[in-house]
Amino acid sequence: MKNLFNNINEQSTPYLFLLPCLLILGALLSVPLYKVVEYSLYDNVIVEKNPTFVGLKNYQDLFTDKAYWSATINTIIFTVGSVFGHLLVGTCLALLVNTDINPRARTIFRSLLILPWIFTAVVVAVNWQLLLNPFGVINYALREIGLIDEPLDWLGDPSLAMWSLLIISTWRGYPFIMVSFLSGLQSIPIELYEAAEIDGAGFFGKFWHVTVPQLMPVIYGVALLDLIWTFQLFPLVWLTTGGGPGRVTEVLSTMTFRYAFVNFQFSQASTVAVSILVISAVFTVFYLRNEYQKI
Amino acid sequence: MSKIEIKNLEKIFGLQKVLHGIDISIAAGQFCVLVGPSGCGKSTTLRMVAGLETITGGEIFIGDRIVNGLKPKERGIAMVFQNYALYPAKTVYNNMAFSLQLSKIPKQEIDRRVKEVAEILDITPLLDRKPATLSGGQRQRVAMGRAIVRDPEVFLFDEPLSNLDAQLRGQMRAEIKRLHQRLKNTIIYVTHDQVEAMTLADKIVIMKDGKIEQQGTPDDVFHNPQTLFVAGFMGSPQMNLTKSIVKPNGLIMSDTKINFSLPKFLNVGQEVIFGIRSDDIRLFSEGSVGVKVDAKLDLIEQLGTENLAHFSLGENRLIAKTSGRTSLKNGDIISFAIDMNHAYFFDPLNGKRIK
Repeated sequence: MKNLFNNINEQSTPYLFLLPCLLILGALLSVPLYKVVEYSLYDNVIVEKNPTFVGLKNYQDLFTDKAYWSATINTIIFTVGSVFGHLLVGTCLALLVNTDINPRARTIFRSLLILPWIFTAVVVAVNWQLLLNPFGVINYALREIGLIDEPLDWLGDPSLAMWSLLIISTWRGYPFIMVSFLSGLQSIPIELYEAAEIDGAGFFGKFWHVTVPQLMPVIYGVALLDLIWTFQLFPLVWLTTGGGPGRVTEVLSTMTFRYAFVNFQFSQASTVAVSILVISAVFTVFYLRNEYQKI
Repeated sequence: MSKIEIKNLEKIFGLQKVLHGIDISIAAGQFCVLVGPSGCGKSTTLRMVAGLETITGGEIFIGDRIVNGLKPKERGIAMVFQNYALYPAKTVYNNMAFSLQLSKIPKQEIDRRVKEVAEILDITPLLDRKPATLSGGQRQRVAMGRAIVRDPEVFLFDEPLSNLDAQLRGQMRAEIKRLHQRLKNTIIYVTHDQVEAMTLADKIVIMKDGKIEQQGTPDDVFHNPQTLFVAGFMGSPQMNLTKSIVKPNGLIMSDTKINFSLPKFLNVGQEVIFGIRSDDIRLFSEGSVGVKVDAKLDLIEQLGTENLAHFSLGENRLIAKTSGRTSLKNGDIISFAIDMNHAYFFDPLNGKRIK
């Protein structure tokens, strides 16, 4: 009996050391999660001392709210557009910086191209606001080369705002894809390209038959991760367009923020947040399943 | 089936010249093996024939066409790589069919050719599998199938057997030879294994430091080596090579004298490297041909059918081949007969054969 006790003791020692950390992390994760779900079932939480339990009424209201559905559609457009932009630009640049050029020049290009990822969202947002300002550099340049006659309000014009936002998001997010793909590209054996060359494949043949299949596991994992991140992206949208003009670029994350810290409707904010949580969780399950298969 | 003509081929990587004017002429249907130690330029030569490396100088003809400026796919070649280089995402069938699909050959024709070649190589049951599920030997067959399916003018093999275990290597070697007898294509085959070179080749090209040391039939390069390097490289165990000085009626190697009647081309007092294959040193018995020497055995390597008996003459270590049935022990003093009819002499300064 004593032996058994000793045994358990020995095995549990490492867990004992981990316990404080696990407790704190667990609490920081689970308490807010629980609270948000709880808030979404009450009315007027936080602002009132004794909120009333309303069950699923908040959800009912939310799902009948046109603004919610418009934000959902915007979120989908923003997410899909951004991920597509990241993949397209990231893949092209990964292929470019993987080419066999002067190693020093290659290192410089790689370092420069990774910069957008290093800046904080605030810096990116402010910079792009200045660039896209009606009196900014981009309008000036476009007028100089004769593409436009009048300066455009890139972030203020309802027909342009989402496109501008997608360009900013693409610029900000491609380096992650580029770096991931670059490491994937470097692990493809050169003999495969040589074999394909002898078999008669040209540039696109080699890309489709060697590069893409070899990168597929990386592409799938990285695209899902990007989807999860972009789906709940808040700072870049809030700081560039603030969801406007009107509600044209309102996404679910900015909607949550608006409910909570502009309108102080914490219950409604929690309800939107829970809906984001559910959708993100679905993506996460796909991602984890993919990662699990790799092992 | 085409002849190949390589004329004064040169290659410079950066500042380093790795091929110094290679000339090889391969007749149509010939099996030519490039052999040499790592870094001798054999693979580079092959890759230049394939079109995977640019040509710094010289010309390569396949058939009557000069192929210097042609892309790999335009050269009428197929290549088998050391690591097989099978497309991991494609099935065996599609690996073999890929080049035909790219050349837009009708589906039925592709199907017929792939199945026919699969039959020849005995890989029909593997056609639906992915390369990752195959063993090394099976992958090797698929890689060969992918080459054969294209019915190229020339096959290029880049150390195709070096990733296989010894038994499988022997088996595949025989299969490649059989395949060549059946298909009769021109082949350039690169290896560092001289046994592979001897068994497969119609013509062996031995390279060292970007130059050709000697080329000829296996029989010729083995029995008639023109340089010290070739003598040492071809044959296992290596030819016994010892520094010696020519004396009026024999040789002195360190303190041992070997008496024999001097051939005309040796001069008294001349320093030479004396070479003798271990097959030509036998246990001495009455009626043995050759010069008798006594020596103490250092080491016996038992190979089953034969034993390799290591012994020293002064500072020189020599190996004799004896029958596997003779029982020898370390430390035995043994009389050997060295058959001087099969002795070789090389100039120690330039490594050239003296004859």
